[in-house]
Amino acid sequence: MSLLSDLWDPFASFGFMRRALVASITLGMGAGPVGVMLQLRRMSLIGDAMSHAILPGAAVGFLLAGGLSLTAMGLGGIVAGLGVALLAGLVSRRTHLAEDASFASFYLTSLALGVLIVSARGSNIDLLHVLFGTILAIDGPALYLMGGITTLSLCLLSIIWRPLVMECVDPGFMRMTGSRGGVYHMVFLFLVVINLVAGFEALGTLMSVGMMMVPAATARLWTRRLLPMMALSAGVGMAAGLTGLLVSYHFSLAAGPSIILTCSILYVVSLLASPTGLRAGRGASSWQGS
Amino acid sequence: MIVHRLFSLLGLCGLLSVAPVHAQARTLRAVASFTVLADVVAHVGGTHVTVTSLVPPDGDPHEFEPSPDDARQLRQADIVFMSGEGLESWFGRLAHAASYHGQPVIVSSAIQAYTPPGAQQAETDPHVWNSVPNVVIWTNTIRDALIAADPEDADSFRASASAYVTQLQALDQDIRSRISAIPADRRRVLTSHDAFGYYGRAYGVTFMAPQGLSTETEASAGNVATLIRQIHQTGITTYFMENATDPRLVQQVARATGAQPGGELYAEALSPPGGPAPDYITMMRHNTDLMVAAMRPR
Amino acid sequence: MTDGTIRLDDAGVVMNGTPVWQHVTGCFTPGSMTAIAGANGAGKSTLLRAILGEVPLSCGTITRDGLHQRDFGYLPQARIIDRGFPISVTDMVLGGAWHQTGAFGAADRQIRQRAANALRRVNLDQQAGRMIDALSAGQFQRLMFARLLMSDARVIMLDEPFTALDAPTTQDLLELVGEWHRQGRTIIAVLHDIHQIRTCFPHVVLLSSGQAIWGETARILTPGTLQRAYDSTPGDWGNAPP
Repeated sequence: MSLLSDLWDPFASFGFMRRALVASITLGMGAGPVGVMLQLRRMSLIGDAMSHAILPGAAVGFLLAGGLSLTAMGLGGIVAGLGVALLAGLVSRRTHLAEDASFASFYLTSLALGVLIVSARGSNIDLLHVLFGTILAIDGPALYLMGGITTLSLCLLSIIWRPLVMECVDPGFMRMTGSRGGVYHMVFLFLVVINLVAGFEALGTLMSVGMMMVPAATARLWTRRLLPMMALSAGVGMAAGLTGLLVSYHFSLAAGPSIILTCSILYVVSLLASPTGLRAGRGASSWQGS
Repeated sequence: MIVHRLFSLLGLCGLLSVAPVHAQARTLRAVASFTVLADVVAHVGGTHVTVTSLVPPDGDPHEFEPSPDDARQLRQADIVFMSGEGLESWFGRLAHAASYHGQPVIVSSAIQAYTPPGAQQAETDPHVWNSVPNVVIWTNTIRDALIAADPEDADSFRASASAYVTQLQALDQDIRSRISAIPADRRRVLTSHDAFGYYGRAYGVTFMAPQGLSTETEASAGNVATLIRQIHQTGITTYFMENATDPRLVQQVARATGAQPGGELYAEALSPPGGPAPDYITMMRHNTDLMVAAMRPR
Repeated sequence: MTDGTIRLDDAGVVMNGTPVWQHVTGCFTPGSMTAIAGANGAGKSTLLRAILGEVPLSCGTITRDGLHQRDFGYLPQARIIDRGFPISVTDMVLGGAWHQTGAFGAADRQIRQRAANALRRVNLDQQAGRMIDALSAGQFQRLMFARLLMSDARVIMLDEPFTALDAPTTQDLLELVGEWHRQGRTIIAVLHDIHQIRTCFPHVVLLSSGQAIWGETARILTPGTLQRAYDSTPGDWGNAPP
């Protein structure tokens, strides 16, 4: 009985806990599916790069708004993220540099620029808040923004579902049928960016990508089918949010890192427990049986 | 004959060149670590001292990142003032980088510093200036240091210091009488910065800081919940935001407890000129105004 | 020229500073069945891709009268496809009709029926629900053909479609290609097997020494031309364009 109350009380008694929980659930639902697509397209590190690329945009928004304004930083982040994606794509098409190399250069520039801008006008503390986020400080407007982003993300994903999947599996085919696979690539990157922007308010630019990638990697270990993988990824994200918040509450640990570390623990457990995880390696090299 | 004339001429020139210097009496270039201290030094020094502050207005004297310009100012200073008690942890690095070999005047050395119970590693609270009597001690220390550096203007320094101390004493009285007008059980203030320890002890006000919302650590849900419960139990109705802490977290806590924002307190920096706290005395009055308004029964 | 003709006029392609082939002139008339032959590195795939518009010409022109991009069906060399992606055989086939379903078309019953028919035609109906990574190379290639069936294209371009397939499968798929030809579609296929070309393809473009010899198979594929094409192609293993 007391275990149940330990799980229930924090959310029943405190508004900030409820809001943080809703925020994690929203983030998980939006970022999970997008993370799966990122993984399958072998763009995991590009996702990481994008989360840093949005920093100068958020920093400029911070500058113009004179403080930690959600809308300004969010809009700025989206612009910056898409800008970096476009630039990297352009450079890789015009030169012989691979897309990931271009991304690396641009995102590092972005990150440095962002730190510079925030440090110039704000204090180190503001920079810390932008980098680390505060899920416990989520208020009504922030929740609306995150909810809006998740809804938009899921809708867009379902709309471009078929061409997006085709573009991942067989980009040549998409080019062929004249459907401008490039457009879907950009829409997908837009989805990545807006989910990262949603996440960075709660978890900061350094860790919001964790909510995208780690649940996706976990889901990959349990199922081979695309839709279940996405659903599982979202589920893992949401579960990690709930658990992380409870850990932060009962053991007085920082909230954001608790959530991401819970994601990681679930991943490690999956690696060990899932038949397609570490155990698969042993089975494949066994000489016994068929 | 001509040689004589020449020597006399030279001697006259020498006298003439020295005389203006004497008649002027030097203007000391003083550098203070932060704005509050700079203001006090300016009041004691008057026209004989030009003071610059390393930490700018609205700046954080704990977390200051000096620039090369600050190093240059330090090197060119005739006299340097610091508060001490661990406030300016960045000073050592700056002095090293600027190759500054002088001895700064530690104005808080004569003050009985306070170690809060339960503090890590017996850290003393460095925010001594929020109690006016401590600033009186500062004034006297500054006066003596200025006299040592520039003995010709000793009288001027003594007069300025004395006048300033009178103002400070009036301020102190004013604050005491206003606080004592508040019922004892309402003398509680919630603020996100822990710089008011000395104020609290001098004037009988209890300051509550949101735990876990400090600038160093990232917030944990447990700490935020503890604070909310604590506020509910003590019945605080007004809170004061600080620039340093994430204002959204403070708002979150306040919303959960029904408290209202009370305005901005200036704990360890003056505001820019034209702001509500351009000098120390105005700063203390401003803070007191806001806190009294918060504590007064509705 | 007539609608549906693909015409090359003195076309040339340069890649990484090296000319691949130059002065290629000829046309693919509607409903023709043409093979593209040549040694490794002669630029066969490049020619296909140039016709598709994927590779820019360094000189000359390619005109495609009355043809839009969606009129082309293309079967690339297998390596460009991500076989590990978790989609099912059915979904892959449905992708072939994507420009009919549109962006967010749930495929309607008619399209699903066509997909089932396509799978049956290539003997993959048993595998309809499996993931594509569970297919063998031969099965996967049949799946690619099934997808082409869905696209109902006027011009079908095949790049080495029978590599690593066993004889019965190859025969069956060649028959499918023959059916397409009889339906009036234009077929352009890059092939290695000279016997296949001689048997099934009335026309051929033979790439040899950076030039193209274009015409009827019987006339072009003489022992002399073949020896020159396969012995004398410049470029060693190292810098052969794909």
